[in-house]
Amino acid sequence: MGRLLTIILCIALLTVHIISLRKITEQEKLIPKGEDTAYVMPSPILRVTALEFHGLASDFLFLKALVFLGGTYERKENPRVKPWEWKWLYHVLDASASLDPYFLDPYYFGNANLTWDGGLIKETNELLEKGSSYRTWDFMLPFYIGFNSFYFLDDNDTASKFLMEAARRPGASAIYADLATKLAYKDRRTENAITFQEYILEHTDDPKLRTEYETRLTALRGVLYLEKAVVSYKQRFGVYPRSLEDLMKKHIIDALPQEPYGGSYYIDSSGKVTTTSESKLMPYERLNLSPSSEPSSLMKD
Amino acid sequence: MNTLWPVALITFKEGIRNRALYGITLLALLFFIANFLISGMFMQEVGKVAIDIALSAVSLSGLLLVLFVGINLMAKDLDKKTIYMVLSRPISRSQYILGKFLGMALLIITTMVFLSVCAALSIQLIKMVYPNYFPRFSWPMILLALSFNTLSMILLSALAFFFASFTSTSFITLVLTVIVYIIGQSLSDVKALVDAPQTVGIHVSAATVKLVQLAYYLFPNLSVFNLKIQAAHSLFLPASYILWTVTYGLIYTALAITGAAIIFRLREFP
Amino acid sequence: MMPMIKLTNISKEFKEGIQAKKIKAIDDLVLEVQKGEVFGFLGPNGAGKSTTIKILVNLIRPDKGKALIMDRDVNDTAVRKHVGYLPENPYFYDYLTAEELLWFGGKTTGLSATAIKNRADELFQKVNLENARKRQLRTYSKGMLQRAGLALSLIHDPDVAILDEPMSGLDPLGRKMVGDVILELKARGKTIFFSSHILTDVERFCDRVGIIVAGRLRLVDRLDNLLVGNTKLEDVFLREVEKAGGGIEI
Repeated sequence: MGRLLTIILCIALLTVHIISLRKITEQEKLIPKGEDTAYVMPSPILRVTALEFHGLASDFLFLKALVFLGGTYERKENPRVKPWEWKWLYHVLDASASLDPYFLDPYYFGNANLTWDGGLIKETNELLEKGSSYRTWDFMLPFYIGFNSFYFLDDNDTASKFLMEAARRPGASAIYADLATKLAYKDRRTENAITFQEYILEHTDDPKLRTEYETRLTALRGVLYLEKAVVSYKQRFGVYPRSLEDLMKKHIIDALPQEPYGGSYYIDSSGKVTTTSESKLMPYERLNLSPSSEPSSLMKD
Repeated sequence: MNTLWPVALITFKEGIRNRALYGITLLALLFFIANFLISGMFMQEVGKVAIDIALSAVSLSGLLLVLFVGINLMAKDLDKKTIYMVLSRPISRSQYILGKFLGMALLIITTMVFLSVCAALSIQLIKMVYPNYFPRFSWPMILLALSFNTLSMILLSALAFFFASFTSTSFITLVLTVIVYIIGQSLSDVKALVDAPQTVGIHVSAATVKLVQLAYYLFPNLSVFNLKIQAAHSLFLPASYILWTVTYGLIYTALAITGAAIIFRLREFP
Repeated sequence: MMPMIKLTNISKEFKEGIQAKKIKAIDDLVLEVQKGEVFGFLGPNGAGKSTTIKILVNLIRPDKGKALIMDRDVNDTAVRKHVGYLPENPYFYDYLTAEELLWFGGKTTGLSATAIKNRADELFQKVNLENARKRQLRTYSKGMLQRAGLALSLIHDPDVAILDEPMSGLDPLGRKMVGDVILELKARGKTIFFSSHILTDVERFCDRVGIIVAGRLRLVDRLDNLLVGNTKLEDVFLREVEKAGGGIEI
C-alpha cells in the first residue's frame, strides 16, 4: 500500500512539473521586455568578472547575439527588430569583441547585419576598426570599413584610407589597391594614391604588373604636378586656369609632363586635373563598377 | 634528501586515488564532448571556439584539482591529525613541507598532462570535421598555453600550502586560496581600469590607485600565465615573455613554499 | 649509565578558550627512563600524558626544560631514527595500503626496499594484518588501524618505543598481541615508554610506573615496590589522584 502511494505521488508530481514548466515558458513570452532589460555590462567590468575565461565569455556573448537575432526571424511585426534592440545587439557584439578582440565572428556578423538592416554604420565601423587593429593579418575588416564609408557614409577619404590598409595586408586582392586609387583620385587625394601605388610597386615582383604600376605612377605624378601648379595659379590669379596651357603661359610651369598612356592631361570645368586616359587610372571595367551598382558584387570578393 | 621522495610519493598516491579526482576528470570529459556541439554553432572561427572550450575545461579542472584535492592533501593532515604519522619520522618540518609540495606538484603535472592529451584529442577531432575553419592554428602555442596553465596551478597550490601552514581548518585555507585566485586573475584588468578609470566613467581616489599598485606586487599576477587567447588565435609571443613569466612563476612559488616552511617550523601539534 | 629518556624540568602552558585562559598542562616534570626498561605512564584524562609524549616526539615544544632521548635533544631530527611513536587514535592517509604505509615508514628512516619487505612481512604476521596488508587503510576498523600504527612505529626497529595508549580500541586478543610485542621488545633490550588507562595491562609488563595528575608527576617507583602485599595498582592510582585534590579533568 505504501509503495503504491509513493509511485502515484511521484507520477503526479512529475506531471504537474511538466505542465507548470510549459505554462511558464508560455507566460515568459508574454512578458514585455523593455529597453531597461537591455543592459550590457561595461566591457572593463566584464573583463574582470570573466577572470581567466575571456575567450569563452566572448564566445558565449556572441552566441547570445546570434540566438537573439535568429529568434527575431519568427516575429511578424514590422519593423522586425526595434531600434533599441539593434543598439543592444551592437553592445553585445562590442562586449564580445572587447573580451576577445581577435575573434572574427562578432565583426563578421555585426557587419552583415548592423549595417544593411540595423542602420548602425558608424558603430559598425568603430567595431570593425577595433578588429582591424588587432587582427593585423586580416584584410577583410579594413576592406569592409572602406566599403561602408564609401557606400553608406559617402566618405571617400576614409574609404580610401582603409582600402589602402586592406591592400597592405597579406593575401589581399589586387582590386583593393585599384579601388583605393580610384577613390583617392576621384576625391583629389592624388598624393595618397601615389604613396600607395609606390608601396604596392615596391612589393610587386611580377614584371607585367610592375610596368602597369609604374605607368600609373607616372600618370599620377603628372596629375599631382599639375594640381600643384593649378593651386599656385589660383593663389596668384584668384581663378582656375581655363586650360593647362595657361600654366605655361603664366610661367608657372615650363612644360606639360608627358602623359604615359599616350593621352593628354587636361583641366575640366570644375578645376580638376585629369587625363583623357582616365579609364586606365580607374579600372571600372575590371569590376564592372558604376556608382549605382549593387554592393553585393563588392562583397563577393 | 632521501626523506623528500617518500613524503612526495605518498602524497601523490593519496591525491591520485582521491575520489574527487574522478569527478573532476569526468567534468572535463563532458566539456570535451560538448565541444563538438558548441563549436559547430559558430559562423567563422570554429577552431578558435574549439580551443577556447578545450583549454577552459583544462583550466577549470586544474583549479578544482588544486582547491579540492590539493588543499585536502595539505590541510587534511592538520584537520585529521594524519600529520603525526609523518612528523614522527626523522623528517624536519621543512622537509615535510617540501616533500608534500613536490608530491602535490607531481599530482598536478600528471593530471594536467592527462587532461591536456584529452583536450588535444578534442581539438584534433573537431579539426578533422571542420578543416576549413581553423585559419591560424599552432600546436606549439596550445602546448605552451597548457604548460603555463600547469605552472600557474603549481603556484596556486604553493600559496594554498602557505595559507594552510598557519590556518586552523582546511575551510579557511580554501576560502583564502579562492580569494587569491580571483584577485590574481583580475589584477591586471583592475590595474588597467584604475590606471584609466575614465573609460568606464568612474572616479578612483589616489588611495585606491596606491592600494591596487601594492596589491599588484603582493598578490600573484595569474593572468600572465593565461595564454588561451594567444593559443586560440596563434598569436606571436616573444621568447623574453616566456622566459620572464616562467621565472616569475618559479620565484613566487619558491617564496610561497619558503614562507610556508618558515611558519610551519614554529607550529605545534597538541 | 646514560638514560634513554630524560626529561628535565619540563613545563608547558596552553591558552584555552576565547578568554585565552592559561592552563598549565605540565608543571616542572622530571623523569628518566633507563635502557631496557618498560615504563608505564599513568594518569587521569587530561593529566598531561599525551602532552608529555608529544614533547618527546617534538610535536610540541616545552616552554621550559629539556627533553633528551639517547642523550640528544628531541628537536634533533636524526634522533627519531631510533624512536618509534604510536599516537593515540592513529590516523592515516585513507587511500594508502598498509604495505605502502610501512614502505613510507621504512624509507624515511633509511631502510632499503628489501629490508623493508622483510621487516614488513615479520610485523604484519605479528600484528595479524597479513591478510589486509594490500587493502586501503580507509577500509580498516579501529582495531586494525591501531595494529597498523604499531607496525609503523616498529618498522625501523627503534631502540625507543613511545606508545600513547597502545591498547585503546583493541579487543582482548588485540591487547594480548600488543602485550606480547612489548614483552618481546623488552627481551631484546629495547626501551618502552607508554601511557595507558588499562591498569591490569600495566601491571603485566611494566618495570616502573609514573603517575601524573593535573600536570604534575606525583609518583615514580618500581612496580614491585608499589604492589606490596595485596595492594593493587588501582588503589595506588586512586590514592594519588585523591591526594592531588580530585584530579577532575578540566
